[in-house]
Amino acid sequence: MTAFAAILRKDLRLELRSGESTVALLAISLLILVVMVFALDASRARGAEAAAGALWVALVFSGMLGATRAFLAERDNHCIRGLLLSPIEPSTLYAAKLAAAFTFMAIAEIGSVILMVLFFNLNFDFTLVRVVPTLALGTLGFAALATLLAAISNRTRMGDLLLPILAVPMFVPALIAGVKASSFALGGAPESAIAQWLKILVAFDVLFVSAGYLLFDYVARED
Amino acid sequence: MSSMIRKGLGYTSLAVMLTAIFMVFDWAPTEAEQGIAQRIFYFHVPCAWVAFAAFGIVALASLFYLWLGERIWDDLAYAAAEIGMVFCTLVLLTGSLWAKPIWGVWWTWDSRLTTTFILWLMYGGYLLLRASADDSPQVARFAAVVGIVAALDVPIVIVSVRLWRTIHPAVLITKTGEHGLEDPRMVVTLLVSLVAFTIFFIWLLMLRFAQLRARTRLCRMGQEIALAEVRAGDA
Repeated sequence: MTAFAAILRKDLRLELRSGESTVALLAISLLILVVMVFALDASRARGAEAAAGALWVALVFSGMLGATRAFLAERDNHCIRGLLLSPIEPSTLYAAKLAAAFTFMAIAEIGSVILMVLFFNLNFDFTLVRVVPTLALGTLGFAALATLLAAISNRTRMGDLLLPILAVPMFVPALIAGVKASSFALGGAPESAIAQWLKILVAFDVLFVSAGYLLFDYVARED
Repeated sequence: MSSMIRKGLGYTSLAVMLTAIFMVFDWAPTEAEQGIAQRIFYFHVPCAWVAFAAFGIVALASLFYLWLGERIWDDLAYAAAEIGMVFCTLVLLTGSLWAKPIWGVWWTWDSRLTTTFILWLMYGGYLLLRASADDSPQVARFAAVVGIVAALDVPIVIVSVRLWRTIHPAVLITKTGEHGLEDPRMVVTLLVSLVAFTIFFIWLLMLRFAQLRARTRLCRMGQEIALAEVRAGDA
């Protein structure tokens, strides 16, 4: 637990001093939302469904950037080797990286949600609170998946290009569930309609957090 | 010995496949409603079966590779993934060819179609990963992890896609599953076709597997020679 806290603290401090990841994530989210406004023709396509769709596109692609960055700092100067040499379990390293990626993504999403309300003419009201569990579960699932796959992709010849190719198809179930649940939540649908999609998100999270936790040893190992 | 089995399997596959083709185009009766287009079904279903079986082999072989750490399992996973990808592509293509005259569209986001397509994307990613990395045990481990994670994802994909489609209004009234093979000759033709594709698949898998085994051995030999040369130089 202390090793987990130490790595997470290191990543957060690094971020606090440079601010690189969160600023980059926010900038990408902003640009994706702008693109979506033009792509969906925001003057006509207003309302919950379009907004939820745009929000999730921003989540996925900014999340990809976040997961890549989590290992970029370790790759320079071969810091990852130092981490692997230290007497900590690779699964602890995975958990700490996951927590860091989740934090950066969550910060970017707060910005995205505010921009979404502005761009798609929604209201700052209670419906936004109803989106929180969906976003939190989706972010956790994506961070779990992307942290595991980023550790793989940044050590191949294709590099970071490979991450979306691997991650997006696998994220589809959570994407479907997340977009549905968010558009229901924003559109004021009853809780029961949201609940079944949240179940899928929970299943996805449980599966990928445990898979990442158990399999990260095989990914991180060097030989 | 194994090359004899392979050869025998190759000829058996040829004979059964020719029989299946004859049955599909000549022996089986033409379906009343769909007409000639229905005959693609005898290729479509066996392709789907082979693709799913191949992806199952990828998952199991990946698991065994991480567990036992022997390259033979990695070679098997690689061979199965490549062949599975070919047959999965054929499933999508034959399905599309059938859908155009019967449904009037090349593609629809029906739950089965979507699931197959996502499977195709996932294993395409798996193959790209293998192609983008050099032949090292590291890549084999990466691929095994991706193979296992993709297989774990499949049940959630199926559930979520089904839920997604049942809530949306159906674009097409025709149900995909109901082909209604009322004539026994249709059933027999399908069975023969399934057997033909299964043998064909096993034959292809053995060929590719033997090839990859040979490559792994060759790599190892090269490393040993290089090592021996270094030692000789030191001495």
